[in-house]
Amino acid sequence: MIQQYINSGILEAYVTGCASESEVKELLRMKAEHPEVNIALKELEADMEFLAQQMAVTPPLSTWGKISDDIDEIMLREKRELQQFKQPEPKQQEAPGTGPTYIEVEGASSHMRIHKAWRWVFAAVFILGKIFLGFAIYFYLENRQAQKQLQKLETEIQQLKR
Amino acid sequence: MDALTKHWLNLREQLTFNEAALPSIKQAAHELYTNYGAMLLGYIIEVVKDRPVAEGYLADIFSGLSVGDIQYIAGTPDGSTYCRLQQYTRNKLVSFVNTVDDCADSPDNVTIRGNRLIDLMTAEQQLVFCGVHYHGKSVSSLANELNKTSDEIRQILKQSFNIIRSNRK
Repeated sequence: MIQQYINSGILEAYVTGCASESEVKELLRMKAEHPEVNIALKELEADMEFLAQQMAVTPPLSTWGKISDDIDEIMLREKRELQQFKQPEPKQQEAPGTGPTYIEVEGASSHMRIHKAWRWVFAAVFILGKIFLGFAIYFYLENRQAQKQLQKLETEIQQLKR
Repeated sequence: MDALTKHWLNLREQLTFNEAALPSIKQAAHELYTNYGAMLLGYIIEVVKDRPVAEGYLADIFSGLSVGDIQYIAGTPDGSTYCRLQQYTRNKLVSFVNTVDDCADSPDNVTIRGNRLIDLMTAEQQLVFCGVHYHGKSVSSLANELNKTSDEIRQILKQSFNIIRSNRK
């Protein structure tokens, strides 16, 4: 019975999109009830893909560029329409006696976003850090040199006293 | 469930109609285009019989994919994504399909006949297969045209698929 149904050609008609509505309905029911029908359908879909692969023609490189531009245009239009129809949010009325309401601002993300102007501040802090480090090294060396000279002078004075 | 299906299901979750999801639509369209663009162009060329026109249709089809279309084509875990995309394309081309000559009406048409698999079919099988697949004809209309019963047309269609399968395996 099932094999007869599979061999009837209805599955082929369904895969090529020429089955009638009642045939499609019956096929979907049969597919749900009988795994053999599902397997046969998958085989037919693989046949269709095989045929399509055999007849494939690579589109020119510029085609995706055109599609991409069109999608961008549609996106922009939809974005504008979304903004146009977006209702302004009603202002929340403060309940009497409850005081100001606080909104939880801590997000789930562990990252934070800051204004681009801060990069100059970070650059300045970095450069100043380097300058201070340079000074610190310079004065450390100077101080070590001075200590050595002082020690030398003390030794000379002691020798002269003797 | 294979990795590709999982990927498509993830993508489907992102595809809700809001501003943030718009780049996902483009990404999904691009993946469909990368995977099936060449196969679909081959199909459209056979339908419209003109490569530049077919390329125009291909671009229109991918540009016009809505969230719902992508969800249906790529997000359905059961069945072939390509077959759903082809069905979608066939529906979009329906107005064009009726204006194109049949395979039998255009004997000088070498595009389909140049294909190894179609060449292996008999004239009758080609007529039925091309009529259904490329010209969007129904079984009943083909039965009327060829003076055969619908069952006979389905059997011829089945034979055409048998030829494709014998070459696939």
